[in-house]
Amino acid sequence: MRSVIRTNEFTLAVIAALGFAALAVATDFNLLTAGTLDAFLRFLALPIVIGLAQMVVLAVGQMNLSVGVLTGFCAVASGWLMVDAGLPAPVAVLAALALGAVVGLVNGLLVIFTRINGFIVTLATMTILEGLRYGVNGTGTYQGYSPGLRGFGQASVAGVPVVFLLAVVIAVAVALFFRRTVPGRHLLASGGNPFAARLSGISNDRALVLAHTLSGLLAGFAAVIVVAAFGSVNASIGDDLLLPSFAAPIIGGVALAGGMISVTGTVLAAFLVRLVDVSQSQFDINRRWVDLIIGAVVLGAVLLGQFRDKLSGGPR
Amino acid sequence: MSVVLSAEKLVKTFPGVRALDEATLTVTAGSVHALLGENGAGKSTLIKILTGVYRPDGGQLRLPGPDGELRAVQLGNPQDAQRAGIGVVHQERNLIPAFSVAENICLQHLPRRAGLLDRAALRTEARRCLDLLDLDLDPDLPVSRLSVAQLQLVEIAKALSADSTVLLLDEPTASLTNDEADRLYGIVRRLSERGHATVLVSHKLEEVFAVADTVTVLRDGRSVAEAEPLADHSREEIVDLMVGRAYQQVHLAARTVAADVEPALALDAVATTAGHHDVSLAVRPGEIVGLYGLVGAGRSELAKALLGLDQITAGEVRVHGRPARIRDVGDALHRYRIGYVTENRKEEGLFLDQTVARNTAVTVWRKLARLGLVRDRSERLLVDEYADRLGIRLASPDQHAGQLSGGNQQKVSLAKWLAADCDVLIIDEPTVGIDVRTKAAFHELIAGLAARGMAILLISSDLPEMVTLADRIAVMREFAIVGELDNDHDYDRMSQSVIRFIHDGQGVVA
Repeated sequence: MRSVIRTNEFTLAVIAALGFAALAVATDFNLLTAGTLDAFLRFLALPIVIGLAQMVVLAVGQMNLSVGVLTGFCAVASGWLMVDAGLPAPVAVLAALALGAVVGLVNGLLVIFTRINGFIVTLATMTILEGLRYGVNGTGTYQGYSPGLRGFGQASVAGVPVVFLLAVVIAVAVALFFRRTVPGRHLLASGGNPFAARLSGISNDRALVLAHTLSGLLAGFAAVIVVAAFGSVNASIGDDLLLPSFAAPIIGGVALAGGMISVTGTVLAAFLVRLVDVSQSQFDINRRWVDLIIGAVVLGAVLLGQFRDKLSGGPR
Repeated sequence: MSVVLSAEKLVKTFPGVRALDEATLTVTAGSVHALLGENGAGKSTLIKILTGVYRPDGGQLRLPGPDGELRAVQLGNPQDAQRAGIGVVHQERNLIPAFSVAENICLQHLPRRAGLLDRAALRTEARRCLDLLDLDLDPDLPVSRLSVAQLQLVEIAKALSADSTVLLLDEPTASLTNDEADRLYGIVRRLSERGHATVLVSHKLEEVFAVADTVTVLRDGRSVAEAEPLADHSREEIVDLMVGRAYQQVHLAARTVAADVEPALALDAVATTAGHHDVSLAVRPGEIVGLYGLVGAGRSELAKALLGLDQITAGEVRVHGRPARIRDVGDALHRYRIGYVTENRKEEGLFLDQTVARNTAVTVWRKLARLGLVRDRSERLLVDEYADRLGIRLASPDQHAGQLSGGNQQKVSLAKWLAADCDVLIIDEPTVGIDVRTKAAFHELIAGLAARGMAILLISSDLPEMVTLADRIAVMREFAIVGELDNDHDYDRMSQSVIRFIHDGQGVVA
């Protein structure tokens, strides 16, 4: 029991619960009305999935700067497929997922074949995608596409939005992948100690490519959530997702150096970021202050992690 | 002559190991003082204390003050040692490639004027140090353009730049040709004529006898010869002092190796991209073949080349008689059932932040998986089995590997290869930093594996360990096998022969 209390996840859960309760009280329980609660969870789906997309590359000690823009790119592409190309929604959805995975695969292959740092590679693909995104439809907006898909975005089961449930299912799948599957464990082994991994018969290159591909695939899922839940897409989607993509795993206790992840932590941290977001809209706070708060929390989380390592004598 | 450095009864203990046990070193001005000893005798620890990297647990260090009187000093860090006049040239290079010769030489105390680098003073100071070595080198040249030998000399100039009275040279000729080494020792002699004292650590006895005048021999952390004139000793006496005669043999159950069996692992005139040439070795099932040599002789590199981390460019590798092409460790494991227990368990062997269960099962996850999912329970059962067999003390299989003691960590990194059901095991320095009792347990364990038919290639710098365990000992020097001996378990005779191979490099196969 004590070991549970001392985990980062437990601390986050307590903070999340307290924060939620405090916000509920401060808004005269407006937060607990069906409509507000529904919106709260509906727009929590995106930060969860985008945080996981970053987490899977952090697991191997890499970063993916292109996750946010890739999400926007996949969203715009599926909008184009439905509105301009007139294809049915399921095709557009599969195309968004495939596009994300392919871009991720390209990121990974570039990293292992050029030996250029993943940070630089994804910075480059981010910039390229940024250009392509506007190339598809300029600054115009796609809307009025598939009622079925938009209906999926607005649907709820027992008061819980379906897109949020989708995010939870994705989180469970990612957790299962790292905990129980052989490739997932190879990713963590490779991120934790690449030398030992190689000398245990694990291919670090394969781990890097797999992590980047998964990251792209998750960005594709994030795009599907955007297309379904927002009801319209334009080229600016994804611009403001880069910081949240790092905020969730870092606050959630994922090691930047690789080898250590926390799906629960990442989900809880996304919840916290969403709380800050909602407070902003509830109290009409300047948007800039929200960024400032989230930035400060990220910095604080990293410092806290270092402090915790020092207290426990560190991993070494 | 006056004493310029006096280390008295230094003691340094690491968890489980007493690295220095009242070691004494007295260096006089103008002398070239050889510091000798086998691997693990305590030389590196002593040097690290003299250069302020470690603090001694006992004993004292005395250096002459301004009046020439010796007084006790504490060296808290390498900068302290420099200020106290101790310059060091480590085995590995410590120069910044993009900086000029002058900048590298004066790195620790760059001359400044008005807060900016004083280029004129920098050049003058560097010139002065280079002149001490009679070295004609452009101070403005970036060191990335220098040869290996020139780099070595720049290191010495750097060590002298702080007005050092004592110069420590750790294996200075390891990467030099004979001519370059001669030139370097010419410089050392000239420095000593000018009153500098040099402490020379070298495994090459011929060089030591050519250049040094005084000798201190360390064995098991103790000085068994203290500042004695080198001329009083023959080479054989020095080797005897290094090896010692107090060696107690651990008795292991006798094993018999069938001589007519096909070797499990055979190398025939193998050359590698790592630099090996003409390496031939054979390990039969049930046999322990020792690969002995000094650090840097190419033993671990051979293991890694065998596992596909470097390419084999000539010769043939056979596993159970069939030619083998091993591309990587996965290949070695799954296709040829060869395992490699790495030398540095912390850096290369273990995932310190992950559980013991994961560390043990990493090689067998594919086998444990059902429908693509690894069950935690099967992983735990595996750990329990090996914890039991190898005597690994665990609080729980979920304990992180980083929290275990050195001996237990080593057992975990052995367990993962036993779990993988290998029949050839390359074990690299299995007992470094492990206390005596665990070491004996390890020796029994390794002998037991061989008795059950495993073919073991044992890489070790620990000669007593070799003599205890190996059936045959192959000696490697400079990436080639210079000799192979049948082990008769007579420590004195074996160590004499092995050390002769190492120091003379004669290519005689006994």
